[in-house]
Amino acid sequence: MEVGMLPISASKRGKLLAAGYTSLRSISRASASQLATDIEVSEDEACEILKYASQTSALDRSIGNSNTSNLYGGQTAWTMLNEEKFNTRITTSCVDLDNILGGGITCKEVTELGGVPGIGKTQIGIQLAVNVQIPLEYGGLGGKAIYIDTEGSFMVERVLQIAEACIEDMPEYSHHFHNNVQDCEVKMHPNSILENIFYFRVCSYTEQIALVNYLDKFIEEHKDVKIIIIDSVTFHFRQDFDDMALRTRLLNEMALKLMKLARKFCLAVVLLNQVTTKYIEGSYQLTLALGDSWSHSCTNRIILFWNGDERHAYIDKSPSLKSASAAYSVTTRGIRNSNSSCKRIKMV
Amino acid sequence: MQPENLLHQIHLPTQKCTVGCPLLDRCLGGGIPCNSITELVAENGTGKTQFCLQLVLYAQLPPSRGGLSASSLYIHTEYPFPFRRLRQLSRAFPLLPTPDHPVADPCDRVFVQGVYTADELVDALPKIELFLIHSKSRFPLRVIVIDSIAALFRSDFDNTGLDLRRRSSLFFKIAGGLKSLAKRFGLAVVVTNQVVDLIEGGNGNGVRVGNLGVLYSSGRRVAPALGLAWANCVNSRLFLSRHDDGADVDGSCSKSRRRISVVFAPHLPHSSSEFVITTEGVFGR
Repeated sequence: MEVGMLPISASKRGKLLAAGYTSLRSISRASASQLATDIEVSEDEACEILKYASQTSALDRSIGNSNTSNLYGGQTAWTMLNEEKFNTRITTSCVDLDNILGGGITCKEVTELGGVPGIGKTQIGIQLAVNVQIPLEYGGLGGKAIYIDTEGSFMVERVLQIAEACIEDMPEYSHHFHNNVQDCEVKMHPNSILENIFYFRVCSYTEQIALVNYLDKFIEEHKDVKIIIIDSVTFHFRQDFDDMALRTRLLNEMALKLMKLARKFCLAVVLLNQVTTKYIEGSYQLTLALGDSWSHSCTNRIILFWNGDERHAYIDKSPSLKSASAAYSVTTRGIRNSNSSCKRIKMV
Repeated sequence: MQPENLLHQIHLPTQKCTVGCPLLDRCLGGGIPCNSITELVAENGTGKTQFCLQLVLYAQLPPSRGGLSASSLYIHTEYPFPFRRLRQLSRAFPLLPTPDHPVADPCDRVFVQGVYTADELVDALPKIELFLIHSKSRFPLRVIVIDSIAALFRSDFDNTGLDLRRRSSLFFKIAGGLKSLAKRFGLAVVVTNQVVDLIEGGNGNGVRVGNLGVLYSSGRRVAPALGLAWANCVNSRLFLSRHDDGADVDGSCSKSRRRISVVFAPHLPHSSSEFVITTEGVFGR
C-alpha cells in the first residue's frame, strides 16, 4: 500500500484511501486545493502531503532502479525499514507497558505472553480484542478481533465492562495522538464492540489445529481482522501427549501458520501461555510451558510476573525491543498503569 | 467452524448458579458461573463440603430465583458421603411444589457417585456424557461437584519426575474433559481442593498465584495442593479460610471466623466476605 509509506497520521491516511487516493502517483497528480477539499484538510496540510508524496515517490524510483534484478517478492532492508515505520501497533491501555513495547503489540508479528494463573493473561487478551477496534480517528486500527478460547475463561460480562470503559476513555486516546477530532465524533456502542470480536471456543487440540488452518480462509472473508488471540495456546497440548516429538511438530507447524497469517494480512497474533516449573541446575525454576523448541517459535516473548504486590511485564525476547520491564495493574476498567507511587521502568 | 455471536450472549449473560445466600452471591458476582470450572480451596473443616451441598440444593431453584432448575451430580472421593447433613440442609431448603410432584424431595435431584482413583474419574467422564445426552428430565443435570480432587492424587503418585509428569497430564485430561462437558451442556463445575502447609524456605509451592500473596488459614501459611499445573486447569479459584479465636481453649464452643476470598477469576475483582455455618446452611455476613 503506497499511501502507507507516507509519514502522516493514520486518520489522514484513512481519508486519502477513502477519497480514492491509493497510489502516490494519484496524489502527486492532484493539486493542493483539490486534495484539501477531497480529504477535508487545510491547504497547508494538503501541501505537506504532496511534498511527502513526491519525496517518497522519488525515493521509490531510486530503489526501483537499483533493484531491478531482485527476485520476485524480494525486498531490500531499506524498504522494509520504511515499511516498519508504519507498522501499526495496538495499545495495551497501560502507558508504561506501551512504552517498553514501543507503542503496543506490533502487527505482522507473533507475540507470546505468559504468566502464572491469575496474573491477568486473559484480561490482557480481552483488552487487546477491544482496543484493536479503537477507530482510526482516535489513533487506533479500527479493526476486528478473533478470539480463540481454549480454556473457557472468556466472560462476556467482563468484555462488556472493558468495552464500556474503553469507549469512555476514547477521547483521551485521541489526545495522545494529537489528533484534531472535534468534528469527527465517532459513536461506538459496546454492543458493536462485542459484534466485532469473532469468538471461537475449542475443546481439543485437533479442533485448535483445524481452526488455525481454517483462519486463512476466514480472514480472507473478513479482511478487517487485525488481531488473533489464542487463550491459551497451551491448554490442550498439555494432555494426552505421550509422543513429545509429535507435539513439538504440531506446535511448530501451528506457529508457522500463525506467523504466515500475521505477515499476509498484516495483523497481530497474541498467544497466551502458561508457566511450568523446570528443573535447572538443582533447583526448580519457573519457565513458560511447551518446552525449549517452542520458545523459538514466537517473535516476541513477554513474561508476566508478580513483584511484591505489583504485576510486572518483562520483555524476555524481541528482535527490536530492549529488555525492560514495566508495572501494570488489572482494574475494573481493564488493564491500566500501576497506580503505585514507584512508577519506574527498570532496566535489566 | 463459525464464530459464536457474542451479542446473543449479552441478553443471556453467563448463567450463574446461586450458592444459597445473597451476600455470598454478591461477592461471587451472582454465584457459580456455568461453562467453567470453579475451585474451592480450603483446609479441612472450613466448609468446602457445606458449600457444595448447599449449591446442589439451590441449583434446583428456578432461574428467577437464581438457580438453574437443575439436578446435580455429586462425585465424592472421601468417605463417607454426608447424607445426614444433606438431609438436614434440605429441611431448611424451600420445597418447590411442581405440578406433577406436589412435594418433590430436593434430595431426589442430587445424584451421588463415589470415585476412588484418578483413573476412575477419567473413566467416569464418558459415562457422564452419555447420561447428559440421554437425560430427558425436566430438571436436567447442570451442576457437577467433585469433592475433593486432591484426595485422588495425594496417594498414588511418587515424587519422581516421571510420576509428576503422569500426574499433570492427568490433570489436564480431567480438566479438558470437564471443560468440554461444561461448554456443551452449560454445566457449572465445582471442584474442591485441599491445602498443604508451606514451610519457610521450602521451594516448589512458594509461587505466588493470584490476588492474595500468601494464604493463611488457622494461623498457618498454606498453599493449594496439586501445585502449579493444576492451578492452570481451573478458571476461577476461591479460597476459604478460618481463623480460630483463641479465647476458648476448652474447645466446647470455639468460635471460628471464616472468610471466602477470590484468588483469581476472569470475571471478578479481588473481593472477600465473611461467612458462618449454621444448621440451616452457609451464610455470608
